[in-house]
Amino acid sequence: MPKTGGYAVDIELTINGERTIVEAGSETDLATVLRQHGYIGVKCGCDGGTCGASKVFVDGEVRMACGMTAADADGSEVQTVAALGTQDDLHPVQQAFVDNFAVQCGFCIPGMVIQAVALLDSNPDPTEREVREALDDNVCRCTGYQKPVEAVLDAADRMQGEQSVAADGGQPASLGPRGADSTDCCGGGCDE
Amino acid sequence: MNNDDETAKADGGTASQSETVEDERHEEHPLEWDEPENNDKAPDERDSVSHRAEKYDDRKLVTGQAKYTADYEERYPDLAYAAVVRSEIPHGRVTGIDASAAEAMDGVEVVLTPESDAVPNGKYTSAGQSYPEPSPWDMRVLNEHVRYIGDPVAAVAAEDRATATAAVEAIEVSYEEDDYVTDPEEAFDGDAPQLFEDGEVENEIVGYDYDRNRMAHIEGELGDVDAALDGDTHVHETEWETIRQSHANVEKHTSLAYTDEDDRHVLITSTQVPNHTRRQLAHLFDIPIRDIRVTKPRVGGGFGGKQAMVVEPIPLALSLATDRPVLYEASRQEEFYAMRSRHPMKVRAKTAVTDDGDIEAIDLYALSNTGAYGSHGMTVAGNVGSKPLPLYSKVPNARFEADIVHTNTPQTGAMRGYGAPQGTLALEGHLDEVARDLGLDPIEFRRRHHMEVGDLDEIAGMMGGEGAERRIRSCGLDECIERGKEAIGYDDLEQPEEDHLHRGIGMALSAQGTGVAGDELGAAQLMMNEDGSFHLQVGGVDIGTGADTAFLQIAAEVLGCDEDDIIVKSSDTDVTPFDYGAYASSTTYISGMAVKKAAEDAKARILDWGSKLLDEPVEKLETGNGTVYSETSGDSVALEEIGYEAAYGDDEREHILGKGTHCTDESPPPFAAQFADVTVDETTGEFDVHKLVVAVDCGVAINPGMAEGQIEGANHMSYEMAVSEGITLDDEGRAEVTDFDEYGLPSATETPPIESILVETHEPTGPFGAKSVAEVPTNTVPPALSNAVRDAVGVRIREMPITAEKIASKLDERTD
Ligand code: FES
Ligand code: FES
Repeated sequence: MPKTGGYAVDIELTINGERTIVEAGSETDLATVLRQHGYIGVKCGCDGGTCGASKVFVDGEVRMACGMTAADADGSEVQTVAALGTQDDLHPVQQAFVDNFAVQCGFCIPGMVIQAVALLDSNPDPTEREVREALDDNVCRCTGYQKPVEAVLDAADRMQGEQSVAADGGQPASLGPRGADSTDCCGGGCDE
Repeated sequence: MNNDDETAKADGGTASQSETVEDERHEEHPLEWDEPENNDKAPDERDSVSHRAEKYDDRKLVTGQAKYTADYEERYPDLAYAAVVRSEIPHGRVTGIDASAAEAMDGVEVVLTPESDAVPNGKYTSAGQSYPEPSPWDMRVLNEHVRYIGDPVAAVAAEDRATATAAVEAIEVSYEEDDYVTDPEEAFDGDAPQLFEDGEVENEIVGYDYDRNRMAHIEGELGDVDAALDGDTHVHETEWETIRQSHANVEKHTSLAYTDEDDRHVLITSTQVPNHTRRQLAHLFDIPIRDIRVTKPRVGGGFGGKQAMVVEPIPLALSLATDRPVLYEASRQEEFYAMRSRHPMKVRAKTAVTDDGDIEAIDLYALSNTGAYGSHGMTVAGNVGSKPLPLYSKVPNARFEADIVHTNTPQTGAMRGYGAPQGTLALEGHLDEVARDLGLDPIEFRRRHHMEVGDLDEIAGMMGGEGAERRIRSCGLDECIERGKEAIGYDDLEQPEEDHLHRGIGMALSAQGTGVAGDELGAAQLMMNEDGSFHLQVGGVDIGTGADTAFLQIAAEVLGCDEDDIIVKSSDTDVTPFDYGAYASSTTYISGMAVKKAAEDAKARILDWGSKLLDEPVEKLETGNGTVYSETSGDSVALEEIGYEAAYGDDEREHILGKGTHCTDESPPPFAAQFADVTVDETTGEFDVHKLVVAVDCGVAINPGMAEGQIEGANHMSYEMAVSEGITLDDEGRAEVTDFDEYGLPSATETPPIESILVETHEPTGPFGAKSVAEVPTNTVPPALSNAVRDAVGVRIREMPITAEKIASKLDERTD
């Protein structure tokens, strides 16, 4: 359950580039404060610390927003998934998740995307194992991780400007002739 | 042998049938199916179906803008928050509730107890099924007689979540404790504490016997199993055990209730079954169905856990009592002990097999632990037999029996696979063992017996249910086996160099259904806007599977327009037509067919308008690329022009609408062949799963990308059932698991790579040839992994989860 309460404090946060002063309980967690201010891309899937859905960047570091008080973030730059891309102009990681069908219910996805962006920032060309390790504390119940892992590897390729699997139509070889059909693969989001 | 109808039927459709009987049955279950022509267009001739169309809501999901129930919070400034007091004892009566301290707290709005006016008195089942539910009405919203640690006793509404939680802690409940029983075998043996009095339960289920804590008993037989077992055959018997698996949906059960400006009660709720929930709430609260509106925003996973009315009555009762909107979001801990889980079961498999390796009889028996209440108890247990047994419908004698018993343990319910995983483990593990004992190749052994196109599957109908007997019109099992074998490298397996490491491959087959035969309904309507776009209103429920996208693809294929030109509104009981909900793998097949019919209905009107505008007969016209065009002259008119013309142009103006309703007695099985590649360390029992391969025949994949996602996710869930302990309970039936870490969900590094293979066939009864896909790969990893371990080191693990310790102890036995 979200932690709230304590005495009221003013907290200065720069959220997705916008400086804001929020009033919150000294014990209120950052996820609750962000959500209260409309940043609903911060998801809460557990009672704290075990699902990874609430991941955000705090001063460039990945943090579970449920796991720290908003007061601890006083003076920080906070970035939620909403800062990464818009629906019309997705971040390459978001685009890769879409093109690789790595999103099912989507509840875990903001946290996954944040984690994947952090990984590719520090390691632009990860191995599959490194991707899995990076996503290890992001619980996804829907996908079995196969497609999210493929999406992150694909995003790495895209970000390095290489031709990606999805730009080829995103088709595993096993699908046969329809693999050649690229126009419907990603709603126009890929290079073709 | 007689040739009369009775005997022929009991005989399993073998050669002795008279021609008359065969003819009648062909008529009833024809092989050739009169299908619409566009159903079998080659995939590459299609514009929308069979393509990897982008998932409709994906851009919103990846940018964090999609709204789930809890995200509606900000819309209701006077929102109150709910929390629930739950029983701390496994069995007994509430003798007093002291809520004075809680009521005195700042910010506490109301405390409800079983006595409160706003709390319904009546009994119900949480199972979101058709009406009257095939589940007993045995529970109350708040209980005086508590039957497990977690039973709801009181509920609080407060200004904020923290106050609600603090209030719950301040409420003191006193109990008179009764004896309890948590082990299903003990519960069933006659001397155990009894959970229900006779006559206490409404809507009792066949075979109930509350003296023995039995909620239901089911059985069915084809042929004469005992005679076959007594005959000159090898009789094998094995027993299998499955875990109490959690749905572990990442979005917790969440529900928001308020009364709107028209005095109607609205629930925004994370559900798979909006229409069932509306009906259940109406009965429970004695409110006319029309005065309740149930709507589902994005849902963060369901997997059957949200095919239950688990949370909705609480915020509704609190909102009625406080006249405020109320949000109830279960805690993660509550998810594990107070929501729902898969029924843990013991399943016994017995076969009679001849020297030549012909299976003469299969006999399955399941003892299912339904927990404190009976929701989905009988129907889930039924599927233990009725889903896997038809795989071997050529076997002349088959029997299935199940006892479903109550224990003082958390409540079970529907979960993806719905009984089939338990039955598939037993059957596919058993047959593998039989083949190995007889010195036969386990795959060839299966090939000799498995179902094929043209088979009349009587096993599916042997437990009753008129429409359940079926003709198999599509079956890609052989191709599933072939392609799976190849992908896993079955024929060229290399053994590790170290002597103590052994590599093995296990395989298992699976069949599921597509919808509940004779018991489903989906409906859809399509409105054309004057700009040539459409609004698709469909009762079908997308819980993250991509159903909305599949609906759009189906509609776009028929209408010849782009998916982007259709807006989908699904699952809002005020706006969308009736639908049974997202369960039983029915969504694409049933609701999708309703969408197809609605689109065809709209298309007929559009062609009429096209005919007027192009001055050509309807028969010459087709839709495509957002136009109506003439196949002869090549002239065309844009849908947009038709939209404006229909709305503003002609004396006979009309709003172009299409409607479609679908229900059917058919439930064609999708099929899967699973392979697992494992290396086992003979010194420690430790094992490493290198890869899972699962090949699935889902008919035509409406969207291959989404279908693969469903397959992989299901396989992951199946893998978890094979290797994780699930929700473990202490002696009193208290869930020891409080968070994901304790639950032991395999993480990204702990999950082996999963390769999904789509084996496409054409199911003539489905929309564009589709069957279901999301459940069948949930059934197969436990048997395939058990078989792989057996293949590698010769020991057999029959109790899930498969652990290094269990393997090691068997290895010790083996060397003794
Ligand atoms: S809500 Fe923060 S990790 Fe789960
Ligand atoms: S997509 Fe549903 S939890 Fe990850």
